[in-house]
Amino acid sequence: MTPLFALLFDQLDDRLRLRRPGRAVANKVFPHHWSFLLGEVALFSLIVLVATGIFLTLFYRPSTEPVIYTGSNPLYVGTSMPAAFESILRMSEDVPGALLIRRIHRGASHLFLAATVLHMLRILLTGAFRKPRELNYHLGIVLLTLAIAEGFLGYSLPYDSLAGTGIRIAYSEVLSFPFVGDRLAFWIFGGEFPTGDVIPRFFAFHVLVVPGIIIGTVSLHLLLLVRQKHTQFPRTGIDGHRMIVGKPLWPAQFAESATLMLWTAGLLTLAAVFIPWSDVALLGPYVPAEVGNNAQPDWFMFWLEGVLRMIPALEWDLPGLTISGPFIAGVVLPGLVFGALIAYPFIERRVYHLSGEWHVLQNPLDIPLRAAYAIGTFSFVLIASAAATNDQLSRLTGIPIETATWGFRIASMFVPPVLAFLLYRYSKGRLRRRGLAVASSEQEADSRFHEPASEQQPVT
Amino acid sequence: MSSPTRPARPEPEPATTPAEELLVLSERTPPPSQANDALVAGTAIASAVFAVVFAVALLLEAPLPVYGIALALAMLLLAVAVRRYFTDRFPDVEAAEPRLHLDEGDDAPIADVEPVGRRPFLTRILIGAGAVLGLSFAAPVSSLGPSPGNALRTTAWQRGLRVVDGDGEPLRPDDIPVGGVATAWPNGAVGDEPSSLVVLRLSGQPQPPTDLDWVVDGSVVAYSKVCTHAGCPVALYRERDSALFCPCHQSTFDANRGAVPTFGPAARALPQLPLGVDADGYLVALGDFESQVGPAFG
Ligand code: HEM
Ligand code: FES
Repeated sequence: MTPLFALLFDQLDDRLRLRRPGRAVANKVFPHHWSFLLGEVALFSLIVLVATGIFLTLFYRPSTEPVIYTGSNPLYVGTSMPAAFESILRMSEDVPGALLIRRIHRGASHLFLAATVLHMLRILLTGAFRKPRELNYHLGIVLLTLAIAEGFLGYSLPYDSLAGTGIRIAYSEVLSFPFVGDRLAFWIFGGEFPTGDVIPRFFAFHVLVVPGIIIGTVSLHLLLLVRQKHTQFPRTGIDGHRMIVGKPLWPAQFAESATLMLWTAGLLTLAAVFIPWSDVALLGPYVPAEVGNNAQPDWFMFWLEGVLRMIPALEWDLPGLTISGPFIAGVVLPGLVFGALIAYPFIERRVYHLSGEWHVLQNPLDIPLRAAYAIGTFSFVLIASAAATNDQLSRLTGIPIETATWGFRIASMFVPPVLAFLLYRYSKGRLRRRGLAVASSEQEADSRFHEPASEQQPVT
Repeated sequence: MSSPTRPARPEPEPATTPAEELLVLSERTPPPSQANDALVAGTAIASAVFAVVFAVALLLEAPLPVYGIALALAMLLLAVAVRRYFTDRFPDVEAAEPRLHLDEGDDAPIADVEPVGRRPFLTRILIGAGAVLGLSFAAPVSSLGPSPGNALRTTAWQRGLRVVDGDGEPLRPDDIPVGGVATAWPNGAVGDEPSSLVVLRLSGQPQPPTDLDWVVDGSVVAYSKVCTHAGCPVALYRERDSALFCPCHQSTFDANRGAVPTFGPAARALPQLPLGVDADGYLVALGDFESQVGPAFG
């Protein structure tokens, strides 16, 4: 430590007694595996998002009042447009650095969501969600939901033509709730679409409410992680159930994280130079009753958009309520996907009569149900996401849009269950060939790891 | 497993407890000959130079790629410097920590202040009152929007209102050529999305369920432009098969047959506007839509 730091530390230590707790923190052990960095990438993109977002807040005007554009984009000089779109256009064209920061902000939003989804996949596939980490897993699902909501809110703020269309569809989704839909929609959107309240409200949620909850939840997520310690991959000669092995926070993990933070921010900046994401000038402001082709949300909403496109025409008028396609597609189905995600840890524990605590990660093929569930869910989400491109696909390939849509309908119904079934059979067979069943305690799983199956007595 | 190797620093502190002590499993010290000080110094200094380039270029309002690339390089070079700095200066340590096992918690008694065993129902009343107070905080939610009432069942259309284009100019039947389509609004409510209209002159013969009384000139009809699926504007018209097409989720409606849905997720026809012509020859509404406009609700 340089003398200045040492002096500062001594002064603080004099008052706070930091030496012992400080050493405990510095000696916290982090298992080493690349997949453990996905959560960190999500965290670092969140930091980039907050930093760039603060700058954007200083220029953005949350209003849809019409104003006359006087900035330097020749396409729009002298035309009337919503103040929100005008402020975005003006900062992008006339505030030095703001376009770069806008692009970094958008790029970071994509990375945040992508890293969160991949992080969740690692948790799900390797079994890091098992007892005692169920609560942290559920906090993670809350974070994923908030991240999607935050992404959608941000996408809406420029009030360009895509944003307006997205808000219109979100409004229709809220309307579709049986009994309370119209009431709920009028509360959230301030009246019948389009109202002047939408953008100010979305702004408050995007910059204050949702980020506040995300930061609070992430803090809790990390607190739980420190309290419960990481899981780890199995290693020969190490009882992972009792011991956690890895590199200490100081210096190895600190070096790794600091480097990763710099890589994340640096690559996002580089990407922002070359990829013009978030350049809304060519999209134009939202004008009611106008929409172009290729009206699409951000990629993380594709699966919802795809289901909206695939679902056949249906609308049931029951006494006192209506159940409509958008309700099934936009509320019931995502509800089922998230419900399954929430319930999965409990289902797995019950189905296989698992007992005790689990700290050592597994190959998902060792648990047939998990392998089947993961491939079923994610193949469905991927097919539904692909279905959100049916119009572009049809234009590119010349396949009629009706045929393309039917293709996606059939694929989304049959491919996920078939894949799930095949993978279930395969993993079960794989276990049976080695004369094994799913291990029901960590000690059992560990003993298999430490003495290879070939040396074990087959269970008959 | 080797024992702790860190010698305690010469401090007047008691020996550290195992919880804070690093249990080192293996330690590899990099030989000084492998240290690359030039790399660390070079990348760190280059990083600082690029940081200055970034700041100056931004102040001078240079083009985005100049300061953008400078900023990116400053961060990436610093990442390289930090990585190498730590690799060269610190031993590569692998350590272990015992896990906390919840089923092996210590059962040391905790000194609590115990209440005198009396009237437990008072506790419940207090908690209940707190909960009621909390729930009452939800009341201001109802100020967030007007009551829907009939708003979603009606639009701005009324008997006698002229049909105008986006600039507010009234439309005559002749303004719509065969196979042509126009976006139209009620006079005085241009831009009122729920009232938006597509007016088209069909090239074929309109058939039921089109209401033929509302067809002007035998071929001009007006439908709500709000898709009955999720409310996007039904923006495209294909004359070949008189198909109105919604670009959002590809619902297709047959304009010749009362705009009934023929493909896609929309389940209801686009409502037809009772359309007529006034004494001056302009298109007018004969009343509001007779069925609900836009997507289904509750
Ligand atoms: C906003 C998004 C999120 C952030 C910033 C975040 C951050 C982190 C970080 C930094 C770690 C430690 C490093 C690692 O294991 O990768 C972690 C661990 C963990 N996360 Fe997340 N996370 C997020 C979302 C999620 C989601 C969606 C889930 C699952 C549904 C989840 C479940 C977990 C669990 C169970 C652990 C403990 C893993 C272990 O001990 O191996 N997190 N999270
Ligand atoms: S809004 Fe028209 S098809 Fe969905």
